[in-house]
Amino acid sequence: MITEEFEPTTDTVEEEASVEACTKCTACNTVCPVARSTDIFRGPKALGPDMERFRSPQEAAVTPGLDLCSGCKLCEVTCPSQVSIQEYIRRAQNQGAREKGRSLRDWVLGRTRLLGKLGSMTAPLANFGNSNPLFRVLMERFVGIHRRRPLPKYQWLTFERWFRRHPRPVKPRRKVAYFYGCWVNYNDRRLGERAVAVLERNGIEVVVPRQQCCGIPAVVNSNMDLARRYGQENVRHLTPIVEEMDIVASSTSCGLMLKHDYGHLLEIPGSERLGAKTYDIMEYLWMLHEAGELDLNFETVPMRLLYHAPCHLKSHGIGYPAMRLLKLIPGVKLEEVDEGCCGISGTFGVKVEKYDLSMKIGSRLFAAVKAAGSDQVLADCETCRMQVEHGTGATSAHPLEILARAYGHG
Amino acid sequence: MPDTSTGVVVIGGGSTGAGVLRDLALRGIDAILVEKGDLASGTTGRSHGLLHSGGRYCVNDEQAAIECVEEGRILRRIARSTVEDTGGYFVSVTEEDQAWEPRFAEGCRRTGITCERISVDEARRREPALSKHVRTVFWVPEDGHLDPFYLVVGNVESARRRGARVMTHTEVSGFLREGDRLTGVRIRDSKTREEGTIACQSVINATGAWAGLVARLFGVEVKVVPVKGTMVVLSRRLAHAAINRCHKPGDGDIVVPGLSVSILGTTSAKVPHPETLPIEWDEVRRMIEEGAMMLDGVTTARAMRAYAGVRPLYDLGAEAEGREMSRNFAVIDHQERDGIKGFTSIVGGKVTTFRLMAERVVDVAARYLGVSTPCTTAEVPLNDRDEPLDQLRHRPSVLGVPKPHDEEPPLQPLLCECELVRPQDVAPWFKDPAVHDLEDVRRRTRSGMGPCQAAICSYRLAARLVTDRGVDGPTATRAMADFLETRWRGVRHVFWGSQLRNMQVTTGLHMELYNVDRQLMLDPVAGTSPPPLAGEGRGGGLAQEPAEVAAQR
Repeated sequence: MITEEFEPTTDTVEEEASVEACTKCTACNTVCPVARSTDIFRGPKALGPDMERFRSPQEAAVTPGLDLCSGCKLCEVTCPSQVSIQEYIRRAQNQGAREKGRSLRDWVLGRTRLLGKLGSMTAPLANFGNSNPLFRVLMERFVGIHRRRPLPKYQWLTFERWFRRHPRPVKPRRKVAYFYGCWVNYNDRRLGERAVAVLERNGIEVVVPRQQCCGIPAVVNSNMDLARRYGQENVRHLTPIVEEMDIVASSTSCGLMLKHDYGHLLEIPGSERLGAKTYDIMEYLWMLHEAGELDLNFETVPMRLLYHAPCHLKSHGIGYPAMRLLKLIPGVKLEEVDEGCCGISGTFGVKVEKYDLSMKIGSRLFAAVKAAGSDQVLADCETCRMQVEHGTGATSAHPLEILARAYGHG
Repeated sequence: MPDTSTGVVVIGGGSTGAGVLRDLALRGIDAILVEKGDLASGTTGRSHGLLHSGGRYCVNDEQAAIECVEEGRILRRIARSTVEDTGGYFVSVTEEDQAWEPRFAEGCRRTGITCERISVDEARRREPALSKHVRTVFWVPEDGHLDPFYLVVGNVESARRRGARVMTHTEVSGFLREGDRLTGVRIRDSKTREEGTIACQSVINATGAWAGLVARLFGVEVKVVPVKGTMVVLSRRLAHAAINRCHKPGDGDIVVPGLSVSILGTTSAKVPHPETLPIEWDEVRRMIEEGAMMLDGVTTARAMRAYAGVRPLYDLGAEAEGREMSRNFAVIDHQERDGIKGFTSIVGGKVTTFRLMAERVVDVAARYLGVSTPCTTAEVPLNDRDEPLDQLRHRPSVLGVPKPHDEEPPLQPLLCECELVRPQDVAPWFKDPAVHDLEDVRRRTRSGMGPCQAAICSYRLAARLVTDRGVDGPTATRAMADFLETRWRGVRHVFWGSQLRNMQVTTGLHMELYNVDRQLMLDPVAGTSPPPLAGEGRGGGLAQEPAEVAAQR
């Protein structure tokens, strides 16, 4: 009889349908960077749990305003009832895109690795095009990428190729696999080099396994099927590796995908083990420090630095390991700019219809950075760094670069 | 309250009363509807809202089934804005159910119900939530959802447009008579206790479960058996179609998709008085258990509230009880039976057949009034908006969002976020004299019927009372508290899991943050009976339909 398996007086409801757990407390709306910057966006509560009640499998899932969600996940971080607000929005976006079709731009933006491959193969040409005003006007007109948004520079030598020629250290104490992500591979090889240098300095051998794009660009461009394909590929490549070593990622968003979204959002079987062994690189280094294994022979770095915590780092739920680590370095004067989201949210702020909104979201951060005045603004996330540079004219860096510098890698 | 006069006084503002009023108005008979609460606040508003195909009665109650078939088809024609064509399934889950199947199929054939046997796989493809217990499935396309609130309001508005008047929150306290002739009714304002009279030539008693009590005022007996039914509301639609157990009608064997929610129904128990409807924990539990036999997700969805309605079953003298009693209705001509000229009662029946009931009773009343205009309620549509009641009248996609790069005005805020009620949905009702409190607004707009059970919309609506209706702060606070109080009455029966936590948020918000309870204690308004919100012209007088109401309907 059903009676035996039925316990209405427990709290298990939320485990199966977390949408039911929403108590309308509205905490998510108060932290949503989009909702607080514009009154044309109903906020995560409305688009997540509220609308979820009206979405049935047979129905079209397109809700107006759905594509204005930038995907920062702050709502999920804040929710006292652990409602996966963001996941409901993502699923609906995805179903909506499946029903009404995807634009060429979103198709392209979802395929960062393909873009990176093309961009790095034709690096000088691509970089010229990406910075040529005439070309940008055409790009805005025909593709929908805002003309004022600076695009990342591509480099001809990829991190993968650089690493193949990189000599292995002798007698390492540990081994770690590095998930470098598309950014390091095609746009910022030097960050990867420094990551390797910092890890090796601490007696850790870096292994670079075969890997695919983490899938987050595909997720935010409403292509969860593509993201799942990428994810499955990564799970296939990385699962054997985690039996022997941990994985570190230098991009907060890539790390978050591996850690959390493969299991939850994309529901890729077997991804839990991978997620449990994945760390943000700064998180990993701090753990090393706590284990007493971090090399503390730092050179003095006399710099006044500002730290901006990326939204996706907050989603990791690990605090700000970068702040803690950098405070170990003599000479570093580090302050946090606690002014919320920078607004770019990956490819969100690149799109022509969202550029202004993205700059408006970031305006409080820009003002604070300008007022503070510093040598550099640090952020763990690559697009945050792009946005801060664009919005303030300041220079930016990954916190790891300061650490590398303290180890003597200028 | 001022005395007035009319042709016919209709007592009872449920589906029958509203149907009678519209029928009278369409025949050109001047009429006033008197309701002691709000429209649809009694039996109709507490039904589960299933528009019966007739399948449920086709074995045991052929007459009722045939009426359902015909009336269902008529309603789909004339009241499209109150009907959602969901279709329904009759599923069997036990062997007992399977023994019932041939009788069901035969009953459908005999009574003309469209019914098709489909494979379980096909059914599960259409309704993924069908439980693993389901063995066989019949598809009954003419089951549907009938929104009881829109139905009654729609009928009344249609009648009002033709000159009929409505007095809500007005009780009938007695009758005026000259010898054997009925000459009027004595009325009393339910809140202010002010009295008045309506002179009339005829009275139709359409009070359902209260029919016996009303007739007693007149010294005549009408045997109505009030039978309580308890229902549980789940926070979302688990299935697109209505799901019925294919067996002898029993407890907890229907799941009705009521717009944004699922309604599990129902129990059946005789009660001494139509207003004594206690809900037992046992009933709630049984509802959920039985529902889970047919649909997955019943146990994991959030149960938002439980409510009980009362069926007005007419005692034909047999020893039948509850479900065995027929759902047929009877017109009682009191001139013939008791020698009172101008008094007619309509008893029994069900929401699905309200129009037919109205037609029959008005036929009798009209004969005495010497009016020979035939009934046209089956042909004239309820209102001008000929769109079917969709899954949501205000679907999310209709809410609209301007594009960020356009210079568009900001979104209008929602008043009720759970049920997506916009200010323009509510505004006309604040101007309607028949609307007295926030519960009345709820019935017409669905405000407060979602998972948070008015935690958020109550204060926004109360604020509207001040801005749109011009009441003062303490009165609006009182109205808000009353609204929350009525919500609480239903929520307390499902106090576990998410709904419990939601109520913690509600009490935290209203009591800790807004200090509503303390405010009411300190306020001079509290303690005395709350003054009417409507201001002048409420209740009686010419219920002139405001332009906004007309525009919306």
